[in-house]
Order: sequence, then C-alpha cells, then structure tokens
Amino acid sequence: MSCKETESLVADYLDSSLPASQRRILEQHMQQCEHCRSELAAAQKVSAHLLQWRQQQVPQWNRIPETLRHARHTRSWSWFAWWQWAPVAVSLVLVLAIFTNVQLTQTQDGFVIAFGANRTVDAMDGSVIAEQLARFEVQQRLRQDQEFQALAARMEERQDASNIRLMETVISQMSDSTARSLDQVLAYFEAIREQDMQILQSTYQQLVDSDYETIRSVQQLASYVQYQP
Amino acid sequence: MSLADQDEVLIGAALEGSARAWERLVKRYEGRVYNFSLRLTGNQTDALDLMQEVFLGVYRNLHRFRGDSLFTTWLFRIAHNKAVDMNRCRRLFMQQDQPGGNADGDDADPYDRVVSNDPRQDPAVVLIEEQGNSVISRHLESLSWDQRLIVELKVFQSHTFEEIAELQDIPANTAKTRFYTALRKLKSILEQDHVM
Ligand SMILES: [Zn+2]
Repeated sequence: MSCKETESLVADYLDSSLPASQRRILEQHMQQCEHCRSELAAAQKVSAHLLQWRQQQVPQWNRIPETLRHARHTRSWSWFAWWQWAPVAVSLVLVLAIFTNVQLTQTQDGFVIAFGANRTVDAMDGSVIAEQLARFEVQQRLRQDQEFQALAARMEERQDASNIRLMETVISQMSDSTARSLDQVLAYFEAIREQDMQILQSTYQQLVDSDYETIRSVQQLASYVQYQP
Repeated sequence: MSLADQDEVLIGAALEGSARAWERLVKRYEGRVYNFSLRLTGNQTDALDLMQEVFLGVYRNLHRFRGDSLFTTWLFRIAHNKAVDMNRCRRLFMQQDQPGGNADGDDADPYDRVVSNDPRQDPAVVLIEEQGNSVISRHLESLSWDQRLIVELKVFQSHTFEEIAELQDIPANTAKTRFYTALRKLKSILEQDHVM
C-alpha cells in the first residue's frame, strides 16, 4: 500500500460499511504511515467539528397539504364552529331565559302572568323556580283587560325590536368572538332586562294599584327575576 | 412506540385521508429534514422552503412507498433529490442574471454559493440563530454545492460511499475523492479560523 492511496484509505476508514478484515489491513498501514495517520486525524477532527451542530427547532409551518386540509376541515369543523359560536350560544340561551322569564299569556280567564317559563328556566334552577312559580304565579281577572292587551302588544314589539338589536350585536361581534365581546353582549342584555323590568314594574303597579297583595307579589317577583343570573 | 404509532400505520392512515396521522408522521421527521436543509442552504428561509418541498414530495408520493426500505431512507432520498433540484433551479435563475459564468470544477463554480450566500445579503432573511451552528454553517459555505452535499450525506446522514454513489448516480471512487477533497478544504479553513 503506497501513500498515494491516502485519499481513498482515509475515506474508506471513515466508512462504516468497511468490512472488518479490510479495516484491520488499514489500521496496520496507519501505524506505519505517518502521512495517512495525520490525514486521518485531521479528517476526524473536521468531522467532529461539524458534528457539534446543534439541532435547531423547526419554525412554525403549515404541515397539512391542501388536499388533506379539506378532509381535516370537515372533521374538525363542528368543533371549530362550536367554539366560534359558544359565546353567542350562551348569550342566546341567556336572552331566552330573560325574555321568557316574564311571560304574558291569555287564557279564558284573562291574563296569566307567568314569571319563569318552565322550559328555559328549568335549565337555570328548576326546583327554586318552580317554587317561586307556585308562590307568585298570579292568576286573576283584570278589570283593565284592554289596557293590559295594549301592554302585551307593546312588550311584544319591544321584544322584537330587542331581538333585532340583539342579532345585530351578535353579528357585529361574531368577527371577534372573544371574552370581551361576550361581556359586551351580556352587558347589553343586562341593560335591556333592566329596562324591561322597570317598564313591567311601573305598568303593573298602575294596573293593580288597588290590590296591595298583587303589588307585593309582583314586586317580589320582579326583584326575584332581576337578581337571578 | 405503540403499534398505532409506527410509520407504516401512520402512512396508511394518512393515505386514507387522516390529517392527524400525516401531521404526526411529519412532526417525527421534520427536525431532521429541517436541519439537513439548514446546513445545505445556510439560512432559515431557504431551509423552510426546502423542507416544505420535501414533505410535499413525500406526501405526493406516499402511495408509492412500498415499505421495502426504511421510511427514513425513502424520505431522505426525496430530500436529497429536492435539494439537488432546488440548487439546479437557483443556478438556472442566476445564470440568466449573470451571463458568462462557467459551471465546471468543484471549486471554481461561481454559482455554488448562490444558494447560501445571496440570502445573507438580504437583511429580511432570517439567519441561523444558534451561534455555534452559524460558525459551522459558514464553514460549510466555503465548500462547493457538491462538496457540501457529500459532507452532509457522509458526516450528518452517515451514508456509506456505496449508498452515496447510488443516490447520486456516480462511481463510489468519485464520491470518496469528492469527500476527501471537501474535508481537506474544511481543514485548511478551520486552521485559518484557529478552530484546529
Ligand atoms: Zn499511507
């Protein structure tokens, strides 16, 4: 083996696939040949220097190819949609609860003022509401039937207008459905509820000012509705 | 690694349209591919481009993977080819801008440094952050493209010369000579830099 072969000898030596028998021959040569030895040492040093490379973290990137992304969307859309709509859904449940808490129903006997419609209020606190309902549900013939019907119509109108405003608010908040926007929607509902309760209270007081019992019930009920979450 | 986590299972699921399985598979190898790309291109922007090309190529050819070799072997074959393609593209692109350049000889090729050096002159390009790595990167950049590639395959990917010869479609002896020349060149640069 002559040292004109250093190049291939060093390369061979660094090759993991070199058979053991050939490696032994190479090692024997390295012991005798100064040039090959120093060249091999240098090559090993260079390799060691390069191998000091430290793995770098992959930056954020889009791993899913376009074609796979469609499959992904259909799969995760429902979750995504739910998440997007969660604040809005909560708000709608809330507004339903608020508006149906105070319900005016006409029966043969006249008007039934039902505070807390079972369906939605159940979700809040069924037993307490049922109790309150039993206690406060006022069923009596009102002398001012016509006036009350007008009130009912006015309330309905108000609710429609409120619902429209509510939807507008919800839609405008959809683009950034964050906790902040939820707060805004809730604050809006809170304000509407307060207004409605004031109207209800004052109207009821006018309507039934001759009946102290009823006034007391309505006031209790109004405060109950107002302070329920 | 659980059975469900094996490459073959993830590949099967990805082929059936599971984005989750594909993502898992990518996450397993993206680090290796990214660092491979980073060493070859010398900057994060090109490295990210190359890595994306590699995984897009893997995804498009996934149905062709037969499992008669390791997935990593197959993946890095694609990575190698994409790197070569990318370099070829840059050369063609640069040749239009700089007529008269000659493209022969490992050391004399003026386009060899195009890939790594040009983005560095652009301040918008994110450079290699790791300080030790940027030194190594600078040393690798002193090599021609072919030399850098063979150093990558031999030192970092631990390929044998036979494998390199097959991958690059060159005689094994050419691969050995090229590798040895690259090491010698690195040695002289490291000496200048007082690294050795
Ligand atoms: Zn020798």
